Amino acid sequence: MTNRIPIVLAAIAALAIPVLTADTYVIQLLNIAMLNAIVVLGLNFATGWTGQINFGQAAFYGLGAYATAIAAKAGLPWIVTPVLSVALVLVASLVLGLPTLRLRTYYLAMTTIGFGEIVRLIIVYWEPVTGGTSGLRTIPGISVFGFGPQGQMQHYYLLLAALALASLVAVRIRRSSLGRAMIATKDSEIAAEQSGVDTTRTKLLAFMIGAVYAGLAGCLYASSIRFVSPDSFSGVQAVLLMTMLIVGGMGSIAGCIIGALALTLLPEALRFLGQWYLVLYGLGVIVVIVLLPGGLASMIAMFPLRRLGAR
Amino acid sequence: MTGAPIVSARGVTRRFGGLVALDGVDLDVPSGIVQAIIGPNGSGKTTLLNALSGASHADAGSIRIGGAEIFRLKPHRIARLGLSRTFQNIRIFGDLSVLENVKVAAACHVRSSLFNIVVAGARQQATESDIEERARQALDLVGLAHRADDRARELAYAQQRLLEIARALASEPKVMLLDEPAAGMNTAESMTLLETIGKLKARGITILFVEHNVRLVMGISDRVAVLDFGKKIAEGTPSEVQRNPLVIEAYLGRRHRHA
Repeated sequence: MTNRIPIVLAAIAALAIPVLTADTYVIQLLNIAMLNAIVVLGLNFATGWTGQINFGQAAFYGLGAYATAIAAKAGLPWIVTPVLSVALVLVASLVLGLPTLRLRTYYLAMTTIGFGEIVRLIIVYWEPVTGGTSGLRTIPGISVFGFGPQGQMQHYYLLLAALALASLVAVRIRRSSLGRAMIATKDSEIAAEQSGVDTTRTKLLAFMIGAVYAGLAGCLYASSIRFVSPDSFSGVQAVLLMTMLIVGGMGSIAGCIIGALALTLLPEALRFLGQWYLVLYGLGVIVVIVLLPGGLASMIAMFPLRRLGAR
Repeated sequence: MTGAPIVSARGVTRRFGGLVALDGVDLDVPSGIVQAIIGPNGSGKTTLLNALSGASHADAGSIRIGGAEIFRLKPHRIARLGLSRTFQNIRIFGDLSVLENVKVAAACHVRSSLFNIVVAGARQQATESDIEERARQALDLVGLAHRADDRARELAYAQQRLLEIARALASEPKVMLLDEPAAGMNTAESMTLLETIGKLKARGITILFVEHNVRLVMGISDRVAVLDFGKKIAEGTPSEVQRNPLVIEAYLGRRHRHA
């Protein structure tokens, strides 16, 4: 359909990175970046395509992570944990989305901010189960019938596969009537309705699919990083996920991945700047938003690759 | 006159605060005709279209499309019952391609489960190619096939109006409502529009349209209904309506006051 060259180049680079660097710190960082990318891909359904402002994505991420962490530490087999995580976020997103998505955009923003705070408070104060502010450590790793990834490198390839799958599902939804209905709902809710689109159902589906992405990413987070704490899923994280989406490119699948990678890796790369790092970081975000309203992903279109691909 | 009424409205009333925008309007539109709704500014024409399409519900009354009561149904349900529309202020899906805009409506009667979408098996591909074929046919009819892959917001104004018609057509409606389809069009573009409406009628679609361009109204309408202050004051063939003293008063009387 479209130009495949950037995708192939990105895939080759992604596969080669662990060969080029043996630094486990770098690999660990990339693992977190890929998990964030899955969460941002999920956020893109409701926010990027359907135009609903969702600040609950970090809370769904946290629910998925804690469900897995608690279940695995209680001795349940790993294979059960993604099911539990998904079930939990499905119920939460349905309860949250059903009443609010009939209303206008900003109601979802308000309720999801509140929801994020509730989830954070539960995690912090339900200490016997969640470990409170110190979090949960030594979470059992991924294991299916005794097989599971060992070490950072194997986790890297597993998470890369998960990200590829998450992207593929997003591409398929985008190319289906559901994906078109989402974007139509954002562009004109009334015109979408008059074209036969059930906009309430479409908004709810986008929100719930996004929550499932976050829940599964949370499950993988808990069982590959093996440590969860409330800070990783706070309101600050929710805003950061939204920033990744905007900086990467609202509505663009490549943009979600680029934004998540850039904003996860950059703070670490800029660490030598000390307290000046936040100034530079903030300036960088503003520059991207002002100069590239389509996000970092819109830069791909500026390269002459498009013409090469058209031949 | 052909067939039984496909649109049958009784006592349709709509109030905005103290203003009665529609005051017990009755309207029967026989199947397969082109019906115009005219009237001075603020007479309730668009309000009537919004009530019929469910965009902004009537407060009271009964509206039947092909026998089914649609009063207070959500617009997507009304669309699936066979009523589609265009908008006075263009409302295209600017972020989608021209073809995708039409595909949204072409999927009106199609249900794809999330499972099928994700697996993308043979059945899903067949569904999608069926949607695409019907969307391309609709684009063809309005003469926009060559712009299929462009972003919809890149189209010129008159082309965006035609795109709205293609989109309204793709949901395979029995009744199509056009809200000032010729607004902002030049003479040549209006002629294309006239031709397009003729093609829609030839397909057996009942057209209900609001228009200010009198030449267009008189040229293509089988019947004309006239609204004034939210009431239907006249109805008949174009020539009957033109001779009706109430209609002349509604238009000329007002113009006299303003002058």
